[in-house]
Amino acid sequence: MESWLQGSILTWVTFLPLATAFGLLGSTLLALFLKTKPLSPTVWKAVALAGTLLTFLLSVFGVWARFDPEQSGFQLLERVPWMAEWGINYFVGVDGISLVLVMLTTFLMPVVIVASWNDIGRSRRTYVFFMLFLETGMLGAFTALNLFQFYVFWEVMLIPMYFVIGIWGGPRRVYAAVKFFLFTMVGSLLMLVAMLVLYWANFEQGGALNFDLIDAGAAQGVAILDTVLPVESGEGTPWWATQFWLFAAFAVAFGVKVPVFPLHTWLPDAHVEAPTAGSVVLAGVLLKMGTYGFVRFALPLFPVAAVTFVPLMFGLALVGIVYGSLVAMIQKDVKKLVAYSSVAHLGFVMLGLFALNLQGVTGSVLQMVNHGLTTGALFILVGFIYERRHTRDIADFGGIARPMPVYAALFGIVTMASIGLPSLNGFVGEILILLGTFQADRWVAVVATSGVVLAAAYMLWLYRRVMFGPVVHPENRGLIDLDWRERLVVVVMILPMIWIGVQPGPVLRRIEPSVAVVLDHMAQRGAALPGRAVDPEPGPDEPVETARWTPDVEGAP
Amino acid sequence: MDPALLNPSVVAPPAWLGLGAMAVLLGEVFLSRSGRGGPGGPGSGQDVSELRLGTTLAGLALAALVLALYTAGASFVAGVHAPFNPMRPMLQMDPLSSAAMVIVATGAALAVMLSITYLPVLRINHGEYYALVLLSTAGMLVMVCSVDLLSLFMGLELMSIPVYVLAGFDRRKLRSNEAGMKYFLIGAFATALLLYGMALLYGATGHTDFAGIREGFDPESGLAMSGLGLVVAGLAFKISAVPFHQWSPDVYEGAPTSVTAFMSVAVKSAAVVILVRFVALALPESTGALEEAFWWLAALTMVVGNVMAVIQTNVKRLLAYSSIAHAGYLLVGFATGTEAARAAILFYLLAYTFMNLGAFGIVVALARGGREHEKIDDFAGLARVRPVLAGLMTLFVLGLAGIPGTVGFIGKFQLFSAAVAGGLVELAIVGVLASVVSVYYYLRLPVAMYMRDPLDDTAAEASTSEVVVLTLCAVAVLALGLWPNTPTLPLLDWAQAASSAIP
Repeated sequence: MESWLQGSILTWVTFLPLATAFGLLGSTLLALFLKTKPLSPTVWKAVALAGTLLTFLLSVFGVWARFDPEQSGFQLLERVPWMAEWGINYFVGVDGISLVLVMLTTFLMPVVIVASWNDIGRSRRTYVFFMLFLETGMLGAFTALNLFQFYVFWEVMLIPMYFVIGIWGGPRRVYAAVKFFLFTMVGSLLMLVAMLVLYWANFEQGGALNFDLIDAGAAQGVAILDTVLPVESGEGTPWWATQFWLFAAFAVAFGVKVPVFPLHTWLPDAHVEAPTAGSVVLAGVLLKMGTYGFVRFALPLFPVAAVTFVPLMFGLALVGIVYGSLVAMIQKDVKKLVAYSSVAHLGFVMLGLFALNLQGVTGSVLQMVNHGLTTGALFILVGFIYERRHTRDIADFGGIARPMPVYAALFGIVTMASIGLPSLNGFVGEILILLGTFQADRWVAVVATSGVVLAAAYMLWLYRRVMFGPVVHPENRGLIDLDWRERLVVVVMILPMIWIGVQPGPVLRRIEPSVAVVLDHMAQRGAALPGRAVDPEPGPDEPVETARWTPDVEGAP
Repeated sequence: MDPALLNPSVVAPPAWLGLGAMAVLLGEVFLSRSGRGGPGGPGSGQDVSELRLGTTLAGLALAALVLALYTAGASFVAGVHAPFNPMRPMLQMDPLSSAAMVIVATGAALAVMLSITYLPVLRINHGEYYALVLLSTAGMLVMVCSVDLLSLFMGLELMSIPVYVLAGFDRRKLRSNEAGMKYFLIGAFATALLLYGMALLYGATGHTDFAGIREGFDPESGLAMSGLGLVVAGLAFKISAVPFHQWSPDVYEGAPTSVTAFMSVAVKSAAVVILVRFVALALPESTGALEEAFWWLAALTMVVGNVMAVIQTNVKRLLAYSSIAHAGYLLVGFATGTEAARAAILFYLLAYTFMNLGAFGIVVALARGGREHEKIDDFAGLARVRPVLAGLMTLFVLGLAGIPGTVGFIGKFQLFSAAVAGGLVELAIVGVLASVVSVYYYLRLPVAMYMRDPLDDTAAEASTSEVVVLTLCAVAVLALGLWPNTPTLPLLDWAQAASSAIP
């Protein structure tokens, strides 16, 4: 690969989809101007597929292959001043945590475009445009190493998703789209205020305006992640400057996205109304934005508060697991069932994160990827049957395995992955999370394990009701099995499930060192984490150990 | 005349506009005679001469803008001195004035360009319209560089009286008449408050110029404080801050849309800037009571403006309430009262000018055949009939909602950042929660345009001048949202310089 490409590989990966989108838009404007026929929607889709595939290939060969798993810090850094007078830079880089999520995103997008090839009936060009726009938004958020830049991508991403749900969704699509947008906005804007408090606290300590998460050498002042924030309010420290409230603001923003239990109500609506592609991206990537936000920002920034919040977060995660599973069990609509299963799965992820130990957090990060793959595949499969029958009611099915054996087989594999059958990906993530949680609090782990059982119950029950038994409804008799395109899509999704299930090493090897940095950083900042060194009195006067965030200082061990 | 008393570099921009207004009135007499007997009758816009007139005037306004831009680079302070007090200037040209002039003139020029094809549609294409706009703009230019209560008042009246007429310009429509009348009555009331406040301030301090007031101002004195309160209330009417806002929805709805656009950006900007100048120059360093008052004004304005906007079904009314809400965001800057907050206010005014003019520009562009498309229902399915207009409208409302990537976000970010730095976190929280509400009603437009089916497919083509305005606004909203401070157009530095020029 050329060096100009290598030097800014993350920028290429992030903005290639957007460039494709604007290229297509430009072609239409040009056609309008020249009074010729604009490119057909099929050409748009083909170009979009090519663009996302190229993005995926670039991310495989340019990012994944060049990522050094031996290094724990951020790699492939690029930094360009943006609004430098405010300490805002275009600053990107990946560590193991963002790496796997970037890979998940670039992998899912071409799959989704193929899966929804015939799904979208109207305004197909606009649809393609928004999907490409969305990909850039998500990749930009995962790679951002500047808090402001992260916020920009985090918010901008909402717009295409809002339109995807609102234009191409089901009957209650407008309600679902607006609800999705508003829920996220409440959290984000509170986070914005917290960000500003953090920004000015950072200014007081470093003497320069700075939004960079890590010290890139060139920036003045203190890196955002090294900002020391007060724990107690008191003289000169108003309530809003304490870690507790700042954490709370960030937690609401990320908690809405995850979604954590009482903030989850937008999710079933959004999933049920969204078109298949929207659901896949929503479940596959957008929800991970929330959990990623916790591990990247909320935990290392406010370590003491994070430890304080552990009981609450455990509680909410458990409620999410048990409640999500139980509600999933009684759903009549297949898609809604899968949506609620997401609440339960993300409950596991939250549990692992707040176990605050290596196994738990690593398992969580892995489970983010797993959930993206399995739930994404489930939504695609549900979409396929919906295209054929125009219903998602479980009662309308039964005995589908007879007319559609391939479908039933593939659905079975994905179901197994979702309930965590060993040798498929779900197992690895769940076992790590449960191991981690067990170390943190064994009773929480015991309750959480019931979630695994419940997951098996609702998924297998769903499978039996849809696939097995006699074909009750005559309409189902003539169903056509998956064609080559649909088979390809699902098989491509299943391959990484098996790969991670059988050989999780390559993925875990990349995640684990980065998780260790986060935990060490928290311990250094005064969080009482068992098994981690606790810095007794962290203060701005002490030499700040930033070495581990930045790879050039770290070097190979 | 003694050049020390009358410095042309200060007086030139408003004088230029005044001359323009005169030229328009004269031209109207000579040019429109040929068209009066034409097929459409008076004011139908059938004759080409009036179209030409409009174009000329847009050029005039732009020339004034260029002039203002020319002076914007300079940091000199010059003045027009009152004959009876040669030591104290009445007008002062400094970076703040030139920045304000640029903002006001930009708003006026864009609004004039929006009017060119809009007036014939409403069959009110009279040259006086342009003369009034120019006179009002001249008043604003006088007002924003005032450093004396007398010149402030003169500028304010010169700004307001033409706008009263403009609001009722569509005289065959009842709503427009009502708007003009209402605006006039409320405006007169506000003026009376302001004047009374000025009298009290003069009584308490013995001065009408800002520097003198500052010297003589005693925060303990009831006379001075009530004078201050009345002056602030009078100006609060002009920027439609709650609880002085009741007139604005009716007036905004009734007035011709191009006038609404003009009022919502130029009049508001001018009033905000003079309030900035007054607070900074005429008052001692800290009057705790004033900041407290601004705190409550800001909170109330943001909450009431945004909440009331939710229930509107008319886009112009919705934008009127949104404009109240934006006054609230600006007041956050006043409550903060730091130099950074002043810079944020200035930048926000510029941002708001482009976003709001863009949004009103779409409403203007949709009006055809004497009928306005101003209900939210009229926007249904617009994305299918006129995808470009729908896309632009979406951009403008996203900007107004403060979504990152648009200039609205940079503006809000700067304002709230200054507020947080000043310790007003509670107010910032109120502000962001209020903006969540705003997201809800702004989204109703994209919902109507993209997620509903068109009621009719007779939506109009935008005319060339409208396309120019809309393109300009869209480019500004996006480009300034992503790069607010480039070496060629360092707007942040520029606002900062304007803010730090006054103590």
